Amino acid sequence: MSDATISFGQTTNRFGRNPSETIEQREEKPQPGVRAKTARELYFETKSSVSMEFPFWYTRRWEELEGEIPMVRRGEALKAGFEHLTPVIYPGELLVMGKASYLRGSYPLPWLSESFFMAAEDKLYKEALESGKLTADTFTTVGKGGGNVTKSIGNVISIAGKFGLRVEEVPVMLAVARKWKDKSVDDIGHKYEQLVPGYKEKEAIMRSVICMFDSGYTLPQGREVINYYYPLQFGIDGMIRICKEGIAESAGFPDMDRIYFYQSGLKVLEGIQKWILNYAAETAFLAKIETDEKQKTEYNEIHDRLTWISSKPPRTFHDALQVIWLFHVAVLNEDAISGLSPGRVGQVLYPFWQRDMKNGVIDKVRTVELLECMRMKFTELDCFASMGVVGGVLSGNTFNNLCLGGLKKDGSQASNELEMLILEAGIRCDTPQPTLSLLYDEKLPEEFLLKGVECTKIGTGYPAWVNNQVAMEFLMGNYAHEGMNLEEARAWSIGGCLESSPGSWMPLELDGEVHWIPGGSAPATSVGVHFLSLPKILETVLFDGLDLRTGERIFPSHGRKLENYKELWISFKEYFHRAVYVLTLTNNIQHDAWRKIAPSVVNSMLKPDCLKRGKDIGQMGSRYNTTFNIESTGTANLVNSLASLKHNVYDRKNFSLEEYREAIKANFGFKTAQETGSFSLVDQVATEEYHKWKRIHKMSLEAPKYGNDDSYVNDIMRDWENWFCTMGKDFRSLYDQPLYACQISVSTHGPMGAVTMATPDGRLCGTTFSDGSVSAYPGTDKNGPYALFNSATCWNHSLSQNSQLNMKIHPSVVKGREGSRKFLELIRSYLRKGGFHVQFNIVDSRMLKQAQEEPDKFRSLLVRVAGFTQYWVELGKQIQDEVIARTEYEEL
Amino acid sequence: MENTCKDCIYYLPVDVFKGLCKLKKNTITPDDPECDAFEWLAKCKFCAKFKLESNYLGKCHDDTLVYPDLNATHCTSFEWKNQN
Repeated sequence: MSDATISFGQTTNRFGRNPSETIEQREEKPQPGVRAKTARELYFETKSSVSMEFPFWYTRRWEELEGEIPMVRRGEALKAGFEHLTPVIYPGELLVMGKASYLRGSYPLPWLSESFFMAAEDKLYKEALESGKLTADTFTTVGKGGGNVTKSIGNVISIAGKFGLRVEEVPVMLAVARKWKDKSVDDIGHKYEQLVPGYKEKEAIMRSVICMFDSGYTLPQGREVINYYYPLQFGIDGMIRICKEGIAESAGFPDMDRIYFYQSGLKVLEGIQKWILNYAAETAFLAKIETDEKQKTEYNEIHDRLTWISSKPPRTFHDALQVIWLFHVAVLNEDAISGLSPGRVGQVLYPFWQRDMKNGVIDKVRTVELLECMRMKFTELDCFASMGVVGGVLSGNTFNNLCLGGLKKDGSQASNELEMLILEAGIRCDTPQPTLSLLYDEKLPEEFLLKGVECTKIGTGYPAWVNNQVAMEFLMGNYAHEGMNLEEARAWSIGGCLESSPGSWMPLELDGEVHWIPGGSAPATSVGVHFLSLPKILETVLFDGLDLRTGERIFPSHGRKLENYKELWISFKEYFHRAVYVLTLTNNIQHDAWRKIAPSVVNSMLKPDCLKRGKDIGQMGSRYNTTFNIESTGTANLVNSLASLKHNVYDRKNFSLEEYREAIKANFGFKTAQETGSFSLVDQVATEEYHKWKRIHKMSLEAPKYGNDDSYVNDIMRDWENWFCTMGKDFRSLYDQPLYACQISVSTHGPMGAVTMATPDGRLCGTTFSDGSVSAYPGTDKNGPYALFNSATCWNHSLSQNSQLNMKIHPSVVKGREGSRKFLELIRSYLRKGGFHVQFNIVDSRMLKQAQEEPDKFRSLLVRVAGFTQYWVELGKQIQDEVIARTEYEEL
Repeated sequence: MENTCKDCIYYLPVDVFKGLCKLKKNTITPDDPECDAFEWLAKCKFCAKFKLESNYLGKCHDDTLVYPDLNATHCTSFEWKNQN
């Protein structure tokens, strides 16, 4: 008998009526202005590119200052990087400056980690592979289209399957990287993490991809909210003055470590000033050679703006927008960072905008044009990282989350007219960045909420809808011991894709009036144990501590026969706890190496109260420091698998655990995802052995599933969440604070699924896990959206930093004004039940299938993955298949 | 050694494959040969203090590692070498 393709149910997983025969298009929407349209067309033609300019000058200056105080040395090195960056200004830009000298530019940061971008035959690379650091890379698929440089061509070398580097810069990249061998955060951290008792277990955990990656040297910052207050209020000269005053106040006193922080900050600010002035000089040059009078005028205006803000606070909304953008880039240039969120920009910039509107300096049309330009600048951002990180976690995204709504300091609703225009710009100029999140509160006006719905309906997945009150409750629970009160909790925002991050209200004084503006007030709120694969840990429980894929022992034998559900559950918690224990210790060491070798200077200066205390964020200069977490992936697969084991093995005794183990080893008689190249359950290929395992597989698929408001499964979900959300208190972070739960998958459900054998819920070997944390596994939520909501909210979401629910809705369901109202009611009902977050793909799944087959015709197609929006063609197939397979709701 | 577009002050890099000419506004590649408007961009390889050591690596002042294509516009010790 030959192999046979088996479809599980329909080609597309659906709830509700069947759609019409033709593929339904998304609702028509207004287009961006000419300027943003032109910029986006250029972007679509642009490849991710890296240059060695910044790391070269950084490393050169670092070497020159051998023996200097590390903090000052770091500031001087960053200064050298900034002041030597080549300015690049593209025609038509109203906001300028970028990370590197390309439109989608970025660069290696070998002081963090140098091994992954070395040539494969290089010794450094081989050592990294041995330690398990790169295993996730080998199981990650990166999108084959869009801006990714997937292979080396001509004079361009491909790195990590995404970035292009000119061949003439390859030798210097390797030479600079070698200078950091045994000196980078990665290498120093690795040297000392081996002192942790049980370190070998950590390596085995990484090799098995039970844990996705170390955070200390990969993405040590990010998943946080930036704070733009200081440059907006004081300008760069004012910040320099604060540093000089700090030096004068602390020199010679017992806490004189402060002077090194201030000195470092001073140097970086000088570098940033030179960087801005270099851009100003370039605009003067461009104006000189420009023949088009309009463009010449614009260059001259940019020149004037840059010259002014290189030292002084902004005068206008346009100035202020340029200031926040350049400081955003400046922070991104000091580290490998994903998820540096601009936060509640519409509220931060509102005083400038309101004044300009009053004075006739700007109108709404020009505002939208500027906001569209801002969207393009954020979209152009790239983060240089390994394939496992940039593909397997980030999917090429950089997670700059702009938040809207929420409450003001005094508890009144915080939305404003500028935020309406931010939504309008998001509708017109639909791009991945910045993604938008609407902080839903009952006090927000209906008009604002309907505008949010109008934006979500265009199908790009933003704004995501986030529960303001649930987040505040989490923040109060997590940060009260550091002084958080209700008023301060209102200043929160989303950092990264979905990390609740504490904020502060800062007194922006304009024309003698104080405006309390919100901004981030903590370092990265998502570092620590990143990510733990729940189904893979269950696999080790079932096989007594072994990784079934490799046969390697990961955990010591638990020695139990797993004769009842209780034994199974205890064993799972034990292994999970062991993993968190060793990973917390090793991560603390890596982050300690980071704060000693490459401490944050730019970000620290912006974060209250670092400048006041004279301490960087690594020395707990921030107001809030309970910021390490434990991230999980594959929740629905874990819960469904536990439900299936409980139902089939322990309660009904349909078959024995040993039979189950054999069925898992045989992949229920199917080929693996790696063999078929298909990563969802929609289409899989059965082998000749299929009939042998058909009964067990069918019963596994038919066992109770999460997402159907079934108390049998909800109880399991609640047990898991109640334990997971509190077990973090057993551990201490580098900052001597407890850990908390973070439940987002980002893209890790792809590669982590790829290394996991079949699971007891009927999922097959190598296929992608369920996304998010409260999303149902594709095709298993059969009782409609409200049943899914009941399942998702069977536990208290304020116990966790987040929860993540993704839904896919057919465009016909939410069409028109009536559809909008129906859609808003759906969102409301979930948030009123206590759900923390919900986001949507409004798309016909058949369109996604078509886009997979003909990617060239769908360059601009955007989809929501898990906390971020990305161009379809830049997603790896593991994630594409999962998004296609998600249940499509044809009626609400 | 022939000059190419990436050595010219009018070259605006878009990505590693292509750029724009600031003067003529057309799309070009970094490896396109120089045109009649070509003007040298300050790069290490055009500096009097630069010595080429291998294909893409060299030394500055005989002791510091540099690479020929490094933009030296903002380097304080750059000095044009005789281009003839």
